[in-house]
Amino acid sequence: MQQQEIQRFLKNYFQANGCEIIEEEKGYMTVQLTIELDKELMNRPFYWHYLEKTGGVPNPMKLTFITNQEAAPEHIKGEVIHFGSPRLHQIFQSTKNLAAYIRLYENHRFTSGQQVPLKPWLGLNVRISYQCDRKRDVFKSLGLQLINGQIVENFHDRLLNLQLTPKIPDYSFTLSPLIMPKSGVSRIKNQLVREIEQEDDNWAVEARERWNKDLQLLEHFYEEIEVDEKGETYENEKKALQDQYEPNVKISIVNGGLFYLTDRAV
Amino acid sequence: MTVEIQFDTSWADGFFQKIEDDGPWGNWDLYKLAIEVEKHTVIDDFEGLQAPKHLPQLTPLPHQLEVAKRVVEDMNGKAILADEVGLGKTIEAGLILKEYMIRGLVKKALILVPASLVTQWANELTSKFYIPAVAQKKSYVWEQYDVVVSSIDTAKRNPHRDIIFQQDYDLIIIDEAHKLKNNKTKNYEFVQSLKKKFCLLLTATPIQNRISEIFNLVSLLKPGHLGNESAFYEKYKRDSRSLDDNEHLKQLVNKVMIRNRRADTGIEWTDRHVETIPIEFSQEEQQLYDAISELRSEDNWMATSAFSIMTLQREACSSREAVFVTLKNMLAKQESPSPAYEQQIQTLAEKVQAIQRNSKAEKALELIRNIDDKVIIFTEYRATQMYLQWFLKQNGITSVPFRGGFKRGKKDWMRELFQKHAQVLIATEAGGEGINLQFCHHIINFDLPWNPMRLEQRIGRVHRLGQEKDVHIYNFATKGTVEEHVLKLLHEKISLFEKVVGELDDILSKLEFGNFEDYLIDIFGHSTSEGEMKIKMDNLASMIQFAEEMKGSETNAAAGNSTVS
Repeated sequence: MQQQEIQRFLKNYFQANGCEIIEEEKGYMTVQLTIELDKELMNRPFYWHYLEKTGGVPNPMKLTFITNQEAAPEHIKGEVIHFGSPRLHQIFQSTKNLAAYIRLYENHRFTSGQQVPLKPWLGLNVRISYQCDRKRDVFKSLGLQLINGQIVENFHDRLLNLQLTPKIPDYSFTLSPLIMPKSGVSRIKNQLVREIEQEDDNWAVEARERWNKDLQLLEHFYEEIEVDEKGETYENEKKALQDQYEPNVKISIVNGGLFYLTDRAV
Repeated sequence: MTVEIQFDTSWADGFFQKIEDDGPWGNWDLYKLAIEVEKHTVIDDFEGLQAPKHLPQLTPLPHQLEVAKRVVEDMNGKAILADEVGLGKTIEAGLILKEYMIRGLVKKALILVPASLVTQWANELTSKFYIPAVAQKKSYVWEQYDVVVSSIDTAKRNPHRDIIFQQDYDLIIIDEAHKLKNNKTKNYEFVQSLKKKFCLLLTATPIQNRISEIFNLVSLLKPGHLGNESAFYEKYKRDSRSLDDNEHLKQLVNKVMIRNRRADTGIEWTDRHVETIPIEFSQEEQQLYDAISELRSEDNWMATSAFSIMTLQREACSSREAVFVTLKNMLAKQESPSPAYEQQIQTLAEKVQAIQRNSKAEKALELIRNIDDKVIIFTEYRATQMYLQWFLKQNGITSVPFRGGFKRGKKDWMRELFQKHAQVLIATEAGGEGINLQFCHHIINFDLPWNPMRLEQRIGRVHRLGQEKDVHIYNFATKGTVEEHVLKLLHEKISLFEKVVGELDDILSKLEFGNFEDYLIDIFGHSTSEGEMKIKMDNLASMIQFAEEMKGSETNAAAGNSTVS
């Protein structure tokens, strides 16, 4: 993430959460937190607890972020934000927490007077992590039509081309799903698992080889010691090797939800 | 092959709840941002380093990045980091820890370091690497924090020990790991019984004496890598002095150990220019020095106070103020001093009073004016420090004092004053949690410490990574005094000033002969003649030379990146 991207991201995040941007210049910005966001980010539960008990006037904080120290004027005091800064990662986490679940309707703008049917879709954005002593991740976005069971890839990118709204638009009605959300989630899961099983698993084979090699060394190290004397240390080392090398794949859902879309949308 | 595929169900549980409750649902703008975040934080390659992208304020040196990459990619996260002193092993360890944390391979990390370095480690990880590391102070810290820095001595004792064994640490870092060379010690046993998924052992002196030590260290990291105990000793002689005896063993060790040498790093080290500045006593100063030296023949002094005489001699080479403070203390310490003793002190005090000028200070003033740039003056004595500050001020030169006892904040403040406003820093101590003074490149050793490590630390404040200019060292030595002898020993006999920082540590640790200072006290305090003194000094010098040769033969033993002939 470049510094300008970070500033744009912060602005979007605070605006989406209803905070006022008091000042924004090249290299820095000042934002007035709402009460909700103060509670979300500032970690001062005692203050809020005290205020609620005493009925005082809430005074959420103002924050200044410096995204480019060279561009920001010298007298500006604030938190320096870069890609590795803990504050940014806290906001990343908060973004995911606040937007984990969604339900939206396509704002199709048909005005013919005819009622437009909207079909239900389950959209899931997932992170697939391939992990041994190393790790890589893949991002995937899948959509499942909850009537005919069709699954499409890059679902999120398709959504970005549509007008979406949280309230059902005029002249529209939703079709009832034939596939229930619960089984929808497991259909997508099964699809992902099938894909992963088809993939090249060389990385896992190699990890197992490394594991085996170290395991043999360990056995050799303890081979002169009687079985019942090997004791905890030996078991410990064995467990450590398993933790270090054993390959596995983790699928975790970043966010997702229900989308009601017209036929031509997908 | 089957790989276990886990599916996180926590999201789905929340989802069904939302459907049941008909909301509340998230905001579309935030939803899109969350995916943007995800795409930015996904790491789609097993290889390569992510950490530098997260640390824009840190500029790791090429060899440090190389080490981090090798440990993660080729050594599977278990390694002995054995760079020479001053090449930044802490930075390397921090990079590796950061890398694993970014990739989500390490959540909990335990860092075991000498007690004196606990705070410094925690601070560096927090400020340089944005890793929320906590120095262990209370026993609940272990459970509440993910990254904890502690001393082994604390960690191995209960209640800490039991709590630590209940934690599931992903990475364990051990600084000064060469202290774990003996597998019979409690510390060794403790570290051995920790579960080590990933592990870094940091040491500057990995191969000291016997290959049994390297066997113990490697077996701690990767048991079996060097075979089991009996097979290992059958193959390699237990007391073998160096790894050079066996090419195969050397290769094995290099698979788990990285050792960079200064010469390999490609970093240009600036030169050091060492100059001895001979000082002539004024007549009054000489009289004081002689009067002190004559005490050696007095009955009531020789037997009991060889040390005091030497201290006074050394102080007389520094300033009359330093002598005066000591005389006062000597008198105060005696409960009922004999009239003779009081008389002797009195005589010396009169000689102190008679001195009108300080020959060294005058020389220093002249030198500082000529240098016309920042200068650090080191002295052993507080009294001299205060006198010099006054003296320089009288002559229109700005200076700031620096002492080891200053609190951290004051140290930083003094450093800043020196950098921005003063020409001279007058320091009594360089060691401990030192400050870096690379912006200065002139050092005056106003008097000499008798501990060569302290001398090395003095130089190390200035001649380190980041120094861009040649460093000038001026050693003051008063003619015909103990000072001249000591300087001769350090400078000419063991070439101390030509050595790189850290080298002497290596050499002295090989001798295991205890305190260097004690040798000097013996030589100068108990020698009955000039001849005896000379012989003892030569002996000491040749011992050090011997250790140096030993080291030379081991230099190639653990060749990390360097080529081995």
